[in-house]
Amino acid sequence: MTLRILFFGPLGDVAGCERIDMPFEPGLSTIADLRDRLGRDNAPLARALAEPQVMVALNQQLVDWDCNVRQGDEIAFLPPVTGG
Amino acid sequence: MDHIAIQADDFSLQQEYDRLRASRPGAIVTFSGLVRDFNRNHDPAGEPVQALQLQHYPGMTEKLVAGMVAEARQRWALQGVIVIHRVGELQPGDQIVLVAVSAAHRAEAFAAAAFLMDYLKTRATLWKQVSIGGRREWVEAYDTDRLAAARWQEGAERERNGDS
Repeated sequence: MTLRILFFGPLGDVAGCERIDMPFEPGLSTIADLRDRLGRDNAPLARALAEPQVMVALNQQLVDWDCNVRQGDEIAFLPPVTGG
Repeated sequence: MDHIAIQADDFSLQQEYDRLRASRPGAIVTFSGLVRDFNRNHDPAGEPVQALQLQHYPGMTEKLVAGMVAEARQRWALQGVIVIHRVGELQPGDQIVLVAVSAAHRAEAFAAAAFLMDYLKTRATLWKQVSIGGRREWVEAYDTDRLAAARWQEGAERERNGDS
């Protein structure tokens, strides 16, 4: 089982892709841990995900950064929206 | 009767209007948004926008919009609500969004349509990218849109606090 990670809008450019499927690692507890893990090898992504306006959705529900992640979860990083 | 659609296809204002009119309301307010020729971030004398790409989060966008419609229905007595937002590639002048609301009287329909547009702009998982001079740029969020949406929150808080 893996984690499905989605980057929307400009975050996709910074991450280099719109979607990553990564194996669940035992050290990952919260979404904040996942954010740190994703930013470890990509400093621009670490900065972009740390922007206060970035929101996160867990299985298509907006959640807080301290929310726990589990195997099979879909986590989406959402920059400020610009529809309408 | 509600109709929510996030779609690549264009929509017919007349068809959606007739859909609301069928239940014999006293008022229908429609708002349609069109793709601008120029990005607000750019000098109006600058290069024209060649195309607009709309990205969204399939599934989540529909859920968020359904939540907005439910909130509008709690705030005002409405008959029908239609929200259509287009995604994919659009050209300047194309229709991009439709909000249509029917009610017994105009005040509810006007207010709910404005509320839904403000919330769509600031809470629906949609992102615009413009093509200008062969370059693609993500559109930045506007403070004016955030402030417009925030006024509905302030209004709700005042009501909860018993002010008028």
